[in-house]
Amino acid sequence: MNSMTRRLFVSLAACAAMGIGATIASAEPSGTFKYAEQVKLITMDPQQQSGSGVPYLRPVYESLFERGPDGKPVPLLATGYEIDGLNVKITLREGVKFSNGEAFNAEVAAANINRGVQLAIIEGLKTVESAEANDEYTFTIKLKEQDPAIIDSLTHTGGMMLAPEAMADPTIDRNPIGTGPYVHSKEESREGEVQVYTPNPTYWDPDKIGLERYEVWEIPDDTARLNALKTGQIDAGNWLANPQSAIIDSSPDLKLFRNTGGLNYHVIISDREGAQVPAFADMNVRQAMAHSIDRAAFGKAILFGLSEDSYQPYGKGHWAYNPDVEGAYAYDVEKAREYMAKSNFPDGFSFDMPSIPIYQSRLEALAGFFNEIGITMNIVPVEPGTLARRSRTTDFPATNLVWNTNTDPKFVALRYIYEDAAYNPFQTKPSEELLSLANAGLESVDTEVRSSVYQQMAEQLAKEKFLIFVANSPILIGVSNATDDNPTVVYRYGEDSINLRGLKANN
Amino acid sequence: MFRLILQRLLALAPLLFIVSVLTFSFTSLLPSDPVDLILGDTGTEEQHEMLRERMGLNEPIHVRYLQWLGRALQGDLGSSYFNSVSVMGAVMQRLPVTLSLTAVSAFIAIVVGVAAGVAAALHPRSWVDRFATLGATFGQAIPNFWFGLILVAIFAVSLRWFPATGFTPITESPWEWLRSVILPSIALGTSSSAAIARQVRSAMVGVLQQDYVRAARAQGLSARRVLFKHALTNAMIPVVAVLSFQITVLLGGALIVEQVFAINGLGTLAIAAVRQQDIPMLQGLVLVMVGLVIAVQLATDVIYGLLNPKARPT
Repeated sequence: MNSMTRRLFVSLAACAAMGIGATIASAEPSGTFKYAEQVKLITMDPQQQSGSGVPYLRPVYESLFERGPDGKPVPLLATGYEIDGLNVKITLREGVKFSNGEAFNAEVAAANINRGVQLAIIEGLKTVESAEANDEYTFTIKLKEQDPAIIDSLTHTGGMMLAPEAMADPTIDRNPIGTGPYVHSKEESREGEVQVYTPNPTYWDPDKIGLERYEVWEIPDDTARLNALKTGQIDAGNWLANPQSAIIDSSPDLKLFRNTGGLNYHVIISDREGAQVPAFADMNVRQAMAHSIDRAAFGKAILFGLSEDSYQPYGKGHWAYNPDVEGAYAYDVEKAREYMAKSNFPDGFSFDMPSIPIYQSRLEALAGFFNEIGITMNIVPVEPGTLARRSRTTDFPATNLVWNTNTDPKFVALRYIYEDAAYNPFQTKPSEELLSLANAGLESVDTEVRSSVYQQMAEQLAKEKFLIFVANSPILIGVSNATDDNPTVVYRYGEDSINLRGLKANN
Repeated sequence: MFRLILQRLLALAPLLFIVSVLTFSFTSLLPSDPVDLILGDTGTEEQHEMLRERMGLNEPIHVRYLQWLGRALQGDLGSSYFNSVSVMGAVMQRLPVTLSLTAVSAFIAIVVGVAAGVAAALHPRSWVDRFATLGATFGQAIPNFWFGLILVAIFAVSLRWFPATGFTPITESPWEWLRSVILPSIALGTSSSAAIARQVRSAMVGVLQQDYVRAARAQGLSARRVLFKHALTNAMIPVVAVLSFQITVLLGGALIVEQVFAINGLGTLAIAAVRQQDIPMLQGLVLVMVGLVIAVQLATDVIYGLLNPKARPT
């Protein structure tokens, strides 16, 4: 992994030049900004957080790195990194303190990483063996295997730094202590309703604190969140592609911001060697299925016109997106029928597809498309919350999932391609081409190099069609016109949150 | 009366025990578990196993139940599977919210229902009666969550008279508290007011035809005195029974209306706990709801006895 060796030391000035943290805030923090989250707060312990809810954490916790406007990692609490084989040496910013006064140093950073590894919840830390301090401001992460995405993992919850006092606190989930620009005000927060944050007096970059108060409201009901936005009770909030976000999109008083990233809905043919459903081993059948899906109609009817047609794991704007794959298996029912006629199953076949309630309408649409070419897809309801687990078993020959496009492309291989991949329950051996591309993606940390590799992988996946991509819905953030006009509002790349460094209240 | 209260309290313990066994058993039968939610799509089987072990989910169900029961008997309902929030703390924090909503809804239901019922009964087959009957039909037919959305669209989004979402504690600002509960309470109380109006009308029509009412009128008592002292008091006896049922309906209905108005009451907590299969939280919620229903029934019996001496327990 010597080719992975790379040095990156970025100064604060360079960071500012890249536009991180928006504009410089005024000297005195003032005003309130109110953000609404669609998921309830579960925990404020970033290392026990596997899903959504990051907007609750960002005010308090800073990560070692963050994503720049182009999605590439740039330093935040770190100042640089150096990768040598399986060792990742990270240099830390000096003079940073946690809000409780404890010093942030290499020992604390290493302890954070080790805690994350021990808890084993964060996917991005699965390749980490351990971490140890070298001196006061440098520490080394030892990897179990090559991982070019390790720095990217440290831009998210895996890289968020907790104070030693917080790590030792069994009630850390409601008593967060970090280095971030704001501190959590437990007294003013109301459990299950609103989390309140006030300026951190010990913040290392005080000019970036622009607000007197930041609030994150827990409003899971989409209509209630929309009403709160319409009446000015909140300044911004996140949405999925649903009727309420479509209303925001068409309202003159509101704006729907489409952030890079989001959810990619796709069909996975797990039994691609045809052990249970022989037709799935037939490339003509997979071609037919891929071409039979009218993605435009699907997007309009199911995702309210807020999605893009998808033929690959990532959407436009992502460095792994390959423009040449666009339309690779565009809707063409005649072509699909021709493929079926050429296949060994011209009279069609049937198979079972697991469904949870929120996917029911999607699957009904897909069943209709497949039915047009003689394929009967039986929709089998499974208990909500069990779809991912059932999809990792041989209970079903095919499944359907969403892929979070905020995730590094190496996880495409780890989830779907390798023989022991989580969502390859039939343990099908990947083709030589795919395997070599999957491995090549791990050889370099250089995003330019990896971009080329993963774009080729997207092309290969489009050829093999055991992953049939359907629609990509971006991260949707609904805002008031005042928020839209606020020049300090900067959306975090690939996240449903606003960068709080430099954020000021709306006029 | 004291005996009645004592009897009800003694019956509470076995009832709560049975309810807790059923809640625990039924929730444990579900094929998914909290580990699925914590680890998301990416957890491996080893991680699942490790976390299940850490959370004690690998213990047999009866062992988990007995552990829970042992703590519960000492007044500790435990804490959520997902965080350190205590069940009792979470429930007690939300109880005033749901009780506020239920109380204001019940007040609206009683005032509107009794007024409409009495007006209809005093003028049978008049336009007042027809209007009240139509209103009652409408009130019972419309779903409370839909009515809530309509109220929000008109009075919060368009007119901006009330907040569209949220709840302000009465201790913080009584005026803001009233503003925050008025729309959800109207949404919630309308259906009950319709049921009460029908019951009051029916009871009043019967009572107004009784001999003692005619006798009271013949004695020259004022219409108001006849109505309020003689007729309404007796007509309210069957209404109290309906009211008891309606208050428990309001408690249940609050769970849905809280979602529409993003009010952080027991309903919101219950829905989150069900989605997450947070058994300790669900246990606490169910026990509190059972306690509330029993308290309402007890209060009904007491009021019933006060209104009707024949119904007092000996």
